Amino acid sequence: MTVNRGSPFRRHRPLFGTAALALSLFFSAFPPAPGAAAELPDTLTIGVLAPLSGPYAAGGTSFVQAATLAVEQANAEGGVFGRRVTIAVGDTQGRVDVAKSEALRLVSREKVSGLVGAYLSEETVGVMEVAAAHRKVLLVPVAATAEITDLVRREYARYRYVFRVGYSLPQWAEMIAAFLSDRKVRRYAFVGAGIRWNLELGETLERFAVPKGISPSYSAWYSPGNPAFDTVAVAAAASSPDIVILADPGRNSVSFLKRLRESAPALPVLSVGGALGDARLAASVPLSAPVYVQAAAWRGVSTAATAYVDRYERRYGATPVGYSDTLPYDAVTVLVAAWRKAGTVESDAVVPVLERGTFPGVAGEYRFDPDHQARWGTGPGALRGSIVRWEPGGARIVYPPR
Amino acid sequence: MRGSFPFRAAKVSLRGGTPPARSPWRGGGWPAAGIGLLLLFPLSSPDAFLLDVFTTGFLLAAFAASWDVVGGVSGQITLGHALPFGVAAYACALLTTLAGWPLPLAVAAAVLLAAAAGLGIGALSAPLAGPFVALLTLALGEIAHEAAVGHTFFSGPGGYAWGGEGGIPVALPWRDAAPFPSYYAALAFLCLASFGMLRFSRSGAGLILRAVEGSPITALASGVPVARFKRMAFAVGSAFAGAAGAGFVVHVGRATATDLSLELSFQAATFAAVGGRGTIVGPVVAALVLHVLFRALSLPPSARVLLYALTLLVVLRFFPGGVAGTARDLASRRAGKEGGRPPRPGGRNRNGDEAP
Amino acid sequence: MASPLPQVLLDGLFAGGTYALMAAGMALILGVVKVINLSHGAFFTLGAYVAYALAGRGVGSPLAAAPLAAVIAFAFGVFLGKSFVNPVRSHPFALPVGTLACALLFEQAAQLVWGPHPLSIEAGAPWIGPGGLVVRRWGAVAFLSSAALLGCLKRVLSSRPGLPLRLIAEDEEIAGSLGMDVEAIRYLTFGAACAMAAAAGALLSPSGAVTPTMGRAPLLLSLVVVIVAGMESVAAIFLLSIGLGVFGNACAWLLSPQWSYVALLAAVCLLLAARPAGIVATAGRRD
Repeated sequence: MTVNRGSPFRRHRPLFGTAALALSLFFSAFPPAPGAAAELPDTLTIGVLAPLSGPYAAGGTSFVQAATLAVEQANAEGGVFGRRVTIAVGDTQGRVDVAKSEALRLVSREKVSGLVGAYLSEETVGVMEVAAAHRKVLLVPVAATAEITDLVRREYARYRYVFRVGYSLPQWAEMIAAFLSDRKVRRYAFVGAGIRWNLELGETLERFAVPKGISPSYSAWYSPGNPAFDTVAVAAAASSPDIVILADPGRNSVSFLKRLRESAPALPVLSVGGALGDARLAASVPLSAPVYVQAAAWRGVSTAATAYVDRYERRYGATPVGYSDTLPYDAVTVLVAAWRKAGTVESDAVVPVLERGTFPGVAGEYRFDPDHQARWGTGPGALRGSIVRWEPGGARIVYPPR
Repeated sequence: MRGSFPFRAAKVSLRGGTPPARSPWRGGGWPAAGIGLLLLFPLSSPDAFLLDVFTTGFLLAAFAASWDVVGGVSGQITLGHALPFGVAAYACALLTTLAGWPLPLAVAAAVLLAAAAGLGIGALSAPLAGPFVALLTLALGEIAHEAAVGHTFFSGPGGYAWGGEGGIPVALPWRDAAPFPSYYAALAFLCLASFGMLRFSRSGAGLILRAVEGSPITALASGVPVARFKRMAFAVGSAFAGAAGAGFVVHVGRATATDLSLELSFQAATFAAVGGRGTIVGPVVAALVLHVLFRALSLPPSARVLLYALTLLVVLRFFPGGVAGTARDLASRRAGKEGGRPPRPGGRNRNGDEAP
Repeated sequence: MASPLPQVLLDGLFAGGTYALMAAGMALILGVVKVINLSHGAFFTLGAYVAYALAGRGVGSPLAAAPLAAVIAFAFGVFLGKSFVNPVRSHPFALPVGTLACALLFEQAAQLVWGPHPLSIEAGAPWIGPGGLVVRRWGAVAFLSSAALLGCLKRVLSSRPGLPLRLIAEDEEIAGSLGMDVEAIRYLTFGAACAMAAAAGALLSPSGAVTPTMGRAPLLLSLVVVIVAGMESVAAIFLLSIGLGVFGNACAWLLSPQWSYVALLAAVCLLLAARPAGIVATAGRRD
């Protein structure tokens, strides 16, 4: 081996070099200490957590767009206690470790006063832990898993800051079953991606539908990684259902619908929401048979909804799909209203206000049950949602009947 | 050990740059300085977010190093290294949540399971070479991912469905992990794991693995049980990956299907390519630097991904052997000039021969 | 209503055509440039977006979009080949990782330009064959184009124009010493293969949704085909692609649609276990 020659400094040049480089990296690469961030003392910040990159970027982007619109509306109404409201966005990338990390960043660096998010169930449960630990109110717009409300019920003292604004799986199934009954459906086929919430929704729907005399003629799932659309479409059509319920909210729903239309042009389809709520996508699919889409709200169901859709269209050039945008909009609206009602942003004061109060949103009047779940469904005073039917000119609300 | 092979001793030595009898820390001024800085870093009172980023960074760096044991030292490019990582993660979660095991026991079982999985993968891939190993490991990793996404328990403890893409939580004895202890625990784990992997790579077994990579036929002809060593590499690499996975899932609190994803497998290979395949230290540094930089700098999401991809492209264009690999080649070339010895070969051409 | 199994098998044939289109370009790159190109899926996506952009301007037929997509992808491919692939070729590990980074770059750029939301082009009505068999328009296009493309490739490679390519695939040093501009042939071949991928993407764009990451799944399966079938025989590539497509659909029908992908991957693993050097017996390599 070679013998190291030269002075000690020269010998250990790599060591000193590394130290110098690393030190300069530490002191220059990281953002300044919290507090020096561009945040005026008279601004209230809402932390918004949604996937903006990765496979769920589409849903996350609408999420953030709608949240931005909601704070703009809040500011147009005079802000909260005379202070402006802004949002701080955390990109969760569809992963629970990143979601927790971003939630931590929003809470510890951006000093948010409340959180809205996340998009996926596993992200949301991770964010719940951070919200509970730091005692921040968290409003959940879209994640539908029962785990969220179950945690609130089982450990109320810790998770009482978490409220779900969107519908739970049983509520979702209840609304679908009501629609099926209204359309006099006897047999339905249920298809979707082979993921947990699709499977759970299928099971729950059967529980609600069977007592109404509606039964599934076929149910199948395709792998989200390499979907076997052909087989499922062909088999679903072959089982002669009255309607096919498509539980996939993502881009695979469009591919599946196209494939189904090729095999069965006359079969009605109900999408539980998501991508098929996009007018441009619906325009590319043959409408030889009805295509229904479920949404939290749609233009025309109320003046608030129409105003919101018009504003969204003006701002972003596209109509909202009614789920991953409308629900986050309402979540921010409800949070702001709760702050105004409580007179403070202190979480411990806001929680009882949310528990007891009524909050108007685009989808209707939000009330929360003891498990902090918003009341959706078919009961009196519940939020009903909307089911629209795509037509060549646009969508028409077909349920609930006016 | 060194003299017992009839083929060129030059091939056997010493891509690590040190003879096996010496301590792995020779020439270790760099790592020591780095560790020192990381130990002192929390004293500058960073916020909880930055500590969390470093903690996950340490765990991912250990994961990248474990890839290097299989793909670098042993030369079996695996594109399914997330499998042992995720197996350990899920084992931890399932054992603590559904079976009620105490956490340390569950972690130990998880690491053992990951090692067993690695042994299985190694057994399947030992007869294969080159891109076929990559394909097989990719397929196995994807199978595991699909199984995790598609398998849902309908009667979990909470009365609602478990598993699937939503993952399974880990029953931890603490509520919210404090940031400082997590940071130091992860750092300690990274140091211990890297030390262990470096020792392995510079041990007799490690040298044999490098020799086998260089010319399997010659190794076979020398009577080396090639398949056994290949399996061993997989088992060791998977054990460390499993340890990283268990640590990761304990830190995050939940095992999800992304712990088995192709993206994670590709990430390990990427860190190794950027850091320097075969150096162990290279992937650790690359993983840590890339992870911390791209999380701690709160860039807008599209800019972050673009910048990350551009960084990878630029680094690989100008340091195709990885940063540590190129540094090592430069150092050995300079040492060669100073000592009057011929410069060491820097790389291999396609046929596996040393570059002229 | 046609009997389901033949319908499903026909659809599998068309799915196999997709893989074959992608695998053709990949095999060319693997054989001539000796590189595993993980950005192939990104070029597929590029083709689909070109078709979408043209559809937005009133040119609805993807058949018209495919040549334009091919030209654009050729330009990008040559650029990538000259600036990245050729210089880094001597490091066989860094290169696939680099092409992966390139794919990531492209996906993000596509997301910036067209947004992350899925987009869609109208698919034409299918043709109804005998017995009510539904022949998907773009499925048939994929199958026929893949057969045509691979046929052309085989013709070119076994005739005079293809000699330089075969020589480079066989032994680069001899090719260089014969005065061929090996570097130029390499990046031109890379560009041509990327053009093939983009043409495939354009032709198949109406079959589903166009998203930035749509190329990932076809990339994976075509990688499987190319590695298992090897680059020696064009016929093997075509047959294996079709075989995978049909097998996947058959598994979905006979076993379960949810696990068809797993069955496909398991079949690949079994194939590798049975024939560790790929399914085509290659002549012994000089060491």
